[in-house]
Amino acid sequence: MILFRHECRLLLRQRLTVGALALLALLTMAALAGGMAEVARQRAAIAAIPAAHAEDIGAIADYVDRTKDAGSAAYYSFHPTWDAPAPLAFAALGMRDISPYILRVRALGLEAQIYDGETFNPELALPGRFDFAFVLVFLAPLFVIALFHDLVSGEREAGRQRMLEALPNGGRALLRRRMALRLLLLWGLLCLPFMIAAASAGVAVSAVLIVVAIVAAYLLFWAALAALVGRLRWSSVANAATLAAAWLVLVLIVPTLANVAINASIPVHQGAEIAMAQREAVNAAWDVPREATMRRFYADHPEWADSAPLGPRFHYKWYLAFHQNGDARVADKVHAYRAGLEARDATGRSLGWVLPSVGVQALLTQLAGSDLAAQLAYQDRIRAFHARLRAFYYGYLFRDRPFAKADFDRAPRFKDVPRG
Amino acid sequence: MSIVRLIARDELRLMARNRVAVIAVVLLVLLTLVAVASSWAHQNGIAELRGRHAHAAESAFKAQPDRHPHRVVHYGTFVFRPLGPLAAFDPGVDAFTGNSMFLEGHRQNTANFGDARQSSLLVRFGQLTPAFVLQVVAPLLLIFLGYGALARETERGTLRLLMLQGTSRGQVVRGKLLALGAVAMLAGLPAMIGLVGIAGQPGALALPMLAIALGYAGYLALWAVLILLVSTLVRRSRDALLALVALWAVAVILLPRVAPDAANAAVPLSNRLQTEVAVARDLRTMGDSHNPDDPHFAQFKQAALDRYGVATVEDLPVNYKGLLAIEGERLSASLYDRYADASYAAQARQNGLVDWVGLLSPTIALRSLSMAAAGTDFAGHRRFLEQAEAYRFALVQRLNRLQMEDVSYADDGATDAGADRRKRIAAHNWQAMPDFRFSPPSGSTLVGKALPGLVILLGWMAGALASLAFASRRLGARR
Amino acid sequence: MPPMTDPILIDDLTLAYGTQRVLSGLSLRVPAGSITALLGGNGAGKSTTLSALLGFTRAQSGSIAVCGIDPAADPDGARRHIAYLPENVALYEHLSAVENADYLLALSGERQPRDAIVEGLAAAGLQEQAWDQRLGGFSKGMRQKVAIAVALLRRVPVLLLDEPTSGLDPRATADFNALLVQVRARGTAVLMVTHDLLSAADIADRIAFIEAGRVAHEASASGAERFDVRALHARFQAGGAKVAA
Repeated sequence: MILFRHECRLLLRQRLTVGALALLALLTMAALAGGMAEVARQRAAIAAIPAAHAEDIGAIADYVDRTKDAGSAAYYSFHPTWDAPAPLAFAALGMRDISPYILRVRALGLEAQIYDGETFNPELALPGRFDFAFVLVFLAPLFVIALFHDLVSGEREAGRQRMLEALPNGGRALLRRRMALRLLLLWGLLCLPFMIAAASAGVAVSAVLIVVAIVAAYLLFWAALAALVGRLRWSSVANAATLAAAWLVLVLIVPTLANVAINASIPVHQGAEIAMAQREAVNAAWDVPREATMRRFYADHPEWADSAPLGPRFHYKWYLAFHQNGDARVADKVHAYRAGLEARDATGRSLGWVLPSVGVQALLTQLAGSDLAAQLAYQDRIRAFHARLRAFYYGYLFRDRPFAKADFDRAPRFKDVPRG
Repeated sequence: MSIVRLIARDELRLMARNRVAVIAVVLLVLLTLVAVASSWAHQNGIAELRGRHAHAAESAFKAQPDRHPHRVVHYGTFVFRPLGPLAAFDPGVDAFTGNSMFLEGHRQNTANFGDARQSSLLVRFGQLTPAFVLQVVAPLLLIFLGYGALARETERGTLRLLMLQGTSRGQVVRGKLLALGAVAMLAGLPAMIGLVGIAGQPGALALPMLAIALGYAGYLALWAVLILLVSTLVRRSRDALLALVALWAVAVILLPRVAPDAANAAVPLSNRLQTEVAVARDLRTMGDSHNPDDPHFAQFKQAALDRYGVATVEDLPVNYKGLLAIEGERLSASLYDRYADASYAAQARQNGLVDWVGLLSPTIALRSLSMAAAGTDFAGHRRFLEQAEAYRFALVQRLNRLQMEDVSYADDGATDAGADRRKRIAAHNWQAMPDFRFSPPSGSTLVGKALPGLVILLGWMAGALASLAFASRRLGARR
Repeated sequence: MPPMTDPILIDDLTLAYGTQRVLSGLSLRVPAGSITALLGGNGAGKSTTLSALLGFTRAQSGSIAVCGIDPAADPDGARRHIAYLPENVALYEHLSAVENADYLLALSGERQPRDAIVEGLAAAGLQEQAWDQRLGGFSKGMRQKVAIAVALLRRVPVLLLDEPTSGLDPRATADFNALLVQVRARGTAVLMVTHDLLSAADIADRIAFIEAGRVAHEASASGAERFDVRALHARFQAGGAKVAA
């Protein structure tokens, strides 16, 4: 312990080191504060939903109440869904800035609604967010390099190396101690602010432990790389240049190259095709006999087949039925599209096994529920909610029950999933 | 041979003998070539795909059978944002904005299916494009090659040796600058050749390309000056390297991320849900077409009756429902436009804030210059959104007019067995509708948008050169 | 723990780096409480001898022992008995003299209170006002005093010196030599690699010449083998010439 204190004093007497450590602490805290502010903004936006929704629905209810037409209620009512940020989201915002976390849906065709985006400034999204994950994945290695590149070469260049090695325990043990101390300092400066932020955000202890373990492992990787380069017995300058080049390759170049390779080898361009095919399927219904549409619908949904036959007038149950038929028509495309996205994501993640920068980013966004899987899970929740919406309105339409003002309150409400 | 050129030649020879330096340059060239090729292929793929989709959407629209015009309003159409040729050099925000948009009546939809939402998490690490290589990677290479240019000579005492030979400090610095500048231009050359290759394609514009070439040449030259400046100020090469890598990390990696976050916090954007609720609210206060007693529409109806000198809507020579649809669309579109303009203005303010940070980071200035000249910045996307909205509005109003003129009011409200047939109008009407054609901005428009970035870069250059001149006067004076 | 045998014992040591032979049959012993000066031309094997004693290099044959421990087999064990001063004493510039001593002693696992450290620095001849000053502005002589103070404070039986007086002015050299005499008086075995024949003749009990990796000549300060500076100097010049040729 006494030796650690000595090493600490030695380290903290160096202005460069103190400056670097202070900067890292500052950046960590700024990133955490920024992340928490963003999450707070998203929570506030979600919290503001009920009031806006009540106002919107209130006006529709006033209008629909005159006709008591469930079809109009279904057609005009938008129902909000949202994807509340997980407690850890502040640390890795992931895709939450470019994917919607609030989406309103109607009981009409879902495939025309579920891919809608949110208003965001693309120029701000382009460089990526300044969050804890960024500080860890991109910046922390640079600090490791600054602190580790001259661990041995610096002593050699100062002419102390031989004397230190001539001391009992002056060689390996000393080096290990110095590495451990630097790692501990960097780890502490990253993790202490993180743990405070995590505690205030109510992150589960297990998640916090996993994150601090990830931080330790990532720092250890870079320290090991620095030690490896140090074994070549080059000068401090050469070490620093080599390590910075390694950083460039591992953190910037390989991921971007891999992105090009993945997107080229796993083509996913069905997104727009789904939307177009769904529109064709839906609109074609106006030009085919309505009975054919209903037969098809009842074949898929026999629970409503006992509904009264269509009269000559427009009936919303037919309208909603062909919307649902349209969704069913593109189900295969939807499936393929999603499989393509998942394949791209899986390939990107599997790169994380060999590329620590990607691995850490993947793990953090996974824990923070801000990765593609979380986005798709949100879409699944929207789909489930949408199914409930349909069932709710069909209950009035297919049974020809009047839809009064009070019935608006009976509509299903999207439920937030509790997350740990 | 002048002394300056002698010194430059010596420095270049040193770099050429440094195997690591040579490998680094070769790797950069390779990386640029891969970036140019992949970006080019990607761009072609996108252009082909979007062209195909656009064609499919247009044919589908025109192949519609006889329909009620209002059905067609809801059938709507898809438009796809085409990419300018320079997007292969700098695709800018293309991956982050959706590129396909569904246009229909009563609503302004979002542009969907952006690449960033359809890619693995790697997309957030950056995209391999010529612009990325020059903005991010090339400066680091120059740092590796140039950090020691003067610090090494100071450290080893060879600087004094040079000066004892009668060489002035200015000559030494200018010689080193010449050498590093030559390497900088060499580093930028493959990407510039790629840019010229793009120029051979139809539609590319000479002026924006010139702006891009100038901007990147200035940017790389600026780094050469900054590197020499640090190398002059610092006594040991290791300190020069660390200081430069730190400078690079702050200017190229950190600030471009911090600035958007700050802008995001400073200028909040209203989200879609709030906007749509607000539009609905405003529409209700302006006039509720569903409410027979609504004052706005009562007045509107009276005005229409007066105009044609009739007493009831049934007596109107035109279909009142079409008239009403035109008025409704006008109202909702004007509201959507108002909210869209507010959102665009807020985003422009955000981008303006980020541009101010360009005073601290030349990379930000160059990035906005590059995207603006390539037409792939927010303004370029906004151009598409605005043209798409103008097209949507014109299309919907044409269809509403068809309803007004070609569908009779009596048929429109009829529910008898043959009514559906009578409400429809002939399919040739759809074929007469014009297609969406994105009209690209002129070269001078693009350059105009790129100018602020260029000015900031020039300012940086002037400041850096002045500092270098000042610092080099004290070169070798220490110790 | 007084060693039963001589603290430094080298017998018929042979050592080669690849095909290049550096030591061929070197034998040397340094008894407790004595100073041995190791002389020889560049490349004769002086530094290699020190490296072998410190356990940095391993000999192919022969035996080497520091207080009975083979440094090649147990480097840390041997180093526990050795204090070593490299040619250029480099310490931590941003630590004071006391802090440097404290740190190096702690590293060796031989921590001592400040009083003892200060006493050691004083004994090494470092003036009081320099004790708590950072080493940044110290002269080579002052740095060496700090290093020797550490060596003294460690109370180890073996002191290895590599060119200790090169670059010191005559006054500092005299001070340093006086200090070495004190160290010898405490029973330490001192092995000093040097080119400084005058210092060697002044304080060494024995002088060993290395030529081509072995001790070619040994002289002692007393008795029949008593050395003659003039003859030594002649021999030194001849040896140097031979190496250069």
